[in-house]
Amino acid sequence: MTQHSGKKSGYKLDTLYSFLIGLFVVIICGIMLYPFLFTISASISNPESVIRNQVTFLPKGPINFEAYKILFHNDRIWTGYANTIFYTVFGTIVNLALTILAAYPMSRRRFNGYRFINLFVSITMFISATGMMIPLFLVVKSLHLLNTRLAILIVFGAFPYYIILLRSFFQGLPEQMFEAARLDGASEMTILLKIVLPLSGAALATIGLYYGINRWNGYFWAMIFLRDEAKHPLQVVLRELIVLASMGEEMDANLSRSATNAEAIKYGAIVLATLPIAVIYPFVQKYFVKGATLGSVKG
Amino acid sequence: MNKRKKQKYQLVDNKALWIMLIPVLIYFIVFKYIPMLGAVISFQRYSPFKGIFESNWVGLEYFRQFFSSIYFTRVLRNTLMIGFFDLLFGFPFPIILALLLNGLSNKHFKKATQTITLLPHFVSYVVVAGIAINMLSPSTGVINALRMKLGLESIYFLQEPSYFWGIFTSMKIIKESGFSAIIYLAALTTIDPSLYEAALCDGANRLQQLKHVTFPALVPTIIIMFIIKIGKIISISFEQVLLLQNDVILSTSEVISTLVYRRGLVNADYSYATAVGLFETFVALVLVLSSNAIVRRLKSDSTLW
Repeated sequence: MTQHSGKKSGYKLDTLYSFLIGLFVVIICGIMLYPFLFTISASISNPESVIRNQVTFLPKGPINFEAYKILFHNDRIWTGYANTIFYTVFGTIVNLALTILAAYPMSRRRFNGYRFINLFVSITMFISATGMMIPLFLVVKSLHLLNTRLAILIVFGAFPYYIILLRSFFQGLPEQMFEAARLDGASEMTILLKIVLPLSGAALATIGLYYGINRWNGYFWAMIFLRDEAKHPLQVVLRELIVLASMGEEMDANLSRSATNAEAIKYGAIVLATLPIAVIYPFVQKYFVKGATLGSVKG
Repeated sequence: MNKRKKQKYQLVDNKALWIMLIPVLIYFIVFKYIPMLGAVISFQRYSPFKGIFESNWVGLEYFRQFFSSIYFTRVLRNTLMIGFFDLLFGFPFPIILALLLNGLSNKHFKKATQTITLLPHFVSYVVVAGIAINMLSPSTGVINALRMKLGLESIYFLQEPSYFWGIFTSMKIIKESGFSAIIYLAALTTIDPSLYEAALCDGANRLQQLKHVTFPALVPTIIIMFIIKIGKIISISFEQVLLLQNDVILSTSEVISTLVYRRGLVNADYSYATAVGLFETFVALVLVLSSNAIVRRLKSDSTLW
């Protein structure tokens, strides 16, 4: 009897427990989404309300696309957009090509350079980005690559971490298959292109997406390497527009035609820069999740 | 023997593999290994005109300069404090988030919430910092609007040195928790469902299940992630800090990596900045190698788990 009632109160407790979990999750999601909702609202609100700090959640005043109209006529934003697409597309191609060319030989255990190349690539994972900052800059400078688009594409040509990930994936493919192909006279390149790559679609998509996101979001080295505004990617333009302008520096003269619009323009620019990622992201989420756990399966 | 050797040769075409590796070798030598060697300029009074072979050697002068300057204690304290904040608040949060998400019973709700919590990870730091700066602004920020409604004074958060560590840590928690939670969620999926059934038979309510089944299953992952995180405590990304930094709050926001940026790339003080960077590399290397060794030891020591 007592046990029975104990169970009953246990169920009640469980309902309360489920409710509390749901509540906490909703609050956390709210905190994470709020900044984005606010940004969208502020970008389409009446500019006066934005300046007077009246926008808190939903757009205030008649919905107003003035900020976007100004942004659409702004060359720096569009040049930035075009540059970012260029760096993302070609940069990711360079990344994937180098990563595949490194990972495939590294995955062949009978390869006479197996130990060397694995060590050669792995060592570089332990060198900190801060330590390499100045020497890397000087190398790029002495190669006369400063202020060239090529620098952006090749200086970060491959990340050792993703090479190791792809190598582990290739090692999981049945070795006998390659050897059978070899005995049939297939060259290594044929095996890579005709057997290995077609079997690695998901792994390549995952790694390509990580590289792509990295290309899209990067600002630091583009800011360091590129002097010409015409070559700046969107994130560098955004940084000048949002971060520096908000820190009290002068805003781009042709963007702030009217001071009232300046705030809305900042928010509009954030929306434009994030939109492609937000649109694509739900469809490719599973690859991202896969990528985050890949590393833990095989160290 | 000879036959076997011949067969081995046929199974893998070494020459073709080496040819494939040529672009990889060039890339790593030019952009990884040469810069590593280039770090010797920290022992020189490097002049871009003289180059690395002609510049004068000065031994440890730049290291001495760094260690005896006020920057040394300042950047070391800031770096360690930001790392410590990240450990204290940033580390438990993804675990809690994973446990919460795992506790949701509605599949669609679970999927939708995971999508939302993951989203900030894929948005650039420029955007996230830009939103943070605007929200914290004294004149147009939402947070100060709220404070004013409550009759409190508006605060210029990003000009007050005492707020920086908290702001930076909060930004990172909001941005990265969803992503860091994935590893714990993956560990949770490996729990044998029969353990829950057994707990249910024993009359365990969900809180007791959490305490006796779910959490213990996470402990190995938690320990490993904790050690990895300690290994990275000193490596604070300049790209992230730089965006929230300004001259007024340098006393709390200048970390080792941003000092390297400021002295090296802004002031072109190459040798000094490289010396600071080399110091960071050395400490980071010791930390990472020790933490890796501990993790490997724990993973191989199967009796522990």
